[in-house]
Amino acid sequence: MPSWKDLKKNPGLWRNLILRSEIISAVREFFSKKGFLEVNTPLLLPAVIPESYLDVFSTYLKNRRGIKKRMFLAASPEASIKKMLVSINRNCFEITKSFRNGETDSNLHNPEFTILEWYRLKADYKKIITDCQDLILHIYNKISEKFPDQPNFKHSFPPVIRYRNSSINLSAPWKKISIKKALEKYSGISFADITGGQDSADPFTPDRITAFARKKGYSFSLNTTWEQLFNQIYLNEIEPNLVKYGKPVIIYDFPKPLAALAKVKKGDNRLVERFEFYIGGIELGDCYTELTDFREQKNRFEKNIREIKKYNKTAIYPDQEFLECLKTGLPECAGIAVGLDRLVMLFADLADIKDTIFYG
Amino acid sequence: MAKITTSNFQKGLFIEFKNDIHQIAEFKHVNPGKGSAFVRTKLKNIRTGNTLEFTYKSGEAVKQLPVYIREMQYLYKNNSHHIFMDQKSFEQYLLSEVVTGKFGQVLKEGEIYQVYVHESDAVGIRIPKRVSLKVVEAEEGIKGNTVTGAKKTVTTETGVKVQVPLFIKKGDVISIDPESGEYLERIN
Repeated sequence: MPSWKDLKKNPGLWRNLILRSEIISAVREFFSKKGFLEVNTPLLLPAVIPESYLDVFSTYLKNRRGIKKRMFLAASPEASIKKMLVSINRNCFEITKSFRNGETDSNLHNPEFTILEWYRLKADYKKIITDCQDLILHIYNKISEKFPDQPNFKHSFPPVIRYRNSSINLSAPWKKISIKKALEKYSGISFADITGGQDSADPFTPDRITAFARKKGYSFSLNTTWEQLFNQIYLNEIEPNLVKYGKPVIIYDFPKPLAALAKVKKGDNRLVERFEFYIGGIELGDCYTELTDFREQKNRFEKNIREIKKYNKTAIYPDQEFLECLKTGLPECAGIAVGLDRLVMLFADLADIKDTIFYG
Repeated sequence: MAKITTSNFQKGLFIEFKNDIHQIAEFKHVNPGKGSAFVRTKLKNIRTGNTLEFTYKSGEAVKQLPVYIREMQYLYKNNSHHIFMDQKSFEQYLLSEVVTGKFGQVLKEGEIYQVYVHESDAVGIRIPKRVSLKVVEAEEGIKGNTVTGAKKTVTTETGVKVQVPLFIKKGDVISIDPESGEYLERIN
């Protein structure tokens, strides 16, 4: 966790911050070459997308007459960028800070972090996979030239980096595995067993998944949701294996309870068009073919608002303007959020996100 | 047995996991992308010494176990058990060599150790980061051999053999890592 005192005592720590700066330059160069528009969206917002798994920072804006108005710090620039996409016919990207309350005591989370998002019009999540492969290779090429004595990678072919004692070959194509396959391979569970087949009326009732949870020794109560048990199985049985491929891994087609703002998959309404990518075991990015149907979005809003109350999270004002904007017609697009600090962890071979951030 | 939740987790706490006693060696909070919160832990089974990883749902209830650390004197080894004596009650406790593992080979008779007790059984021993041992048998270093990293085997006071650098002599006290059995440094 470098503060000015740490940096003064140990100037070697500057190396990670310089690497960080070069990574950000490489990202900007990559997107401007592809003709993406760099945008700036607000961090202080009067209303936010209800996301029940997040806790937001809430504050007050005081006007000159001393009247207070509740405001929130952005947990991601997603809603703001989508509002822009409604009126501009261009691919966009943004590098900005985002804030998530309560996310302390973790080597992968920091309450204030740097996020990279990009959106492609007339594209789905498959196109973003290509972007990710190209972007990571572009960063690798840039910084391996600039840092010839970096211990965990050399400017060479194939492009290999070492992260925490594992070697990862960054070259395309990356390893791709669907959630369904991963579930079968690592947990011995078929997706149909926990959802009840393609035309199941109620695929995500907890009954089916609790039967497996019981067998596997996971605990649950009446309040435990399908999403919690699925994620617990995922984190215990699937995710630890993703580091073993020696390649970056794309894990795709998520169950609908983990949909957030992703579009339902054509041909299987239990799944959504969403992928995450992992390098060296770190989850670096989360992509969707974006949900453009405002009615479906409205339903998910309402469900999340109910859950925010139920779980006693910080109360929010839901962003009705966002629904309004979807109603006027968000063009077909796909977008992704990438944790920039985590990208620095990877390239600098650091175990803790706090070592990538200057603490003032 | 107290029920606690993941928000009470602390390093060093003893909990029940799969019907066995485990100590929390590490814990971290994680939120999978667009999912609820979880707590990743590294748990050390204090009977076997094995470490495993398990991820709990944030807020999940877990049984905390009353495990106490007692200062005990190591007496002797009897077949496959090490015999310890509680310094206060003078009661004797048995610890299987499966539990002590490699550390069992460097236990010194008469020395005080910290032993974990659950109900009325000794269930584990606290393993220090380093142990010092006197070298009782060592070959002379071969003169002129200046290859860096060259090693030889010496025998220590507990009978355990250690790979050491060539300059170590009989009568030296060395420090080793009790879990790996590796030489760390010369102390005297």
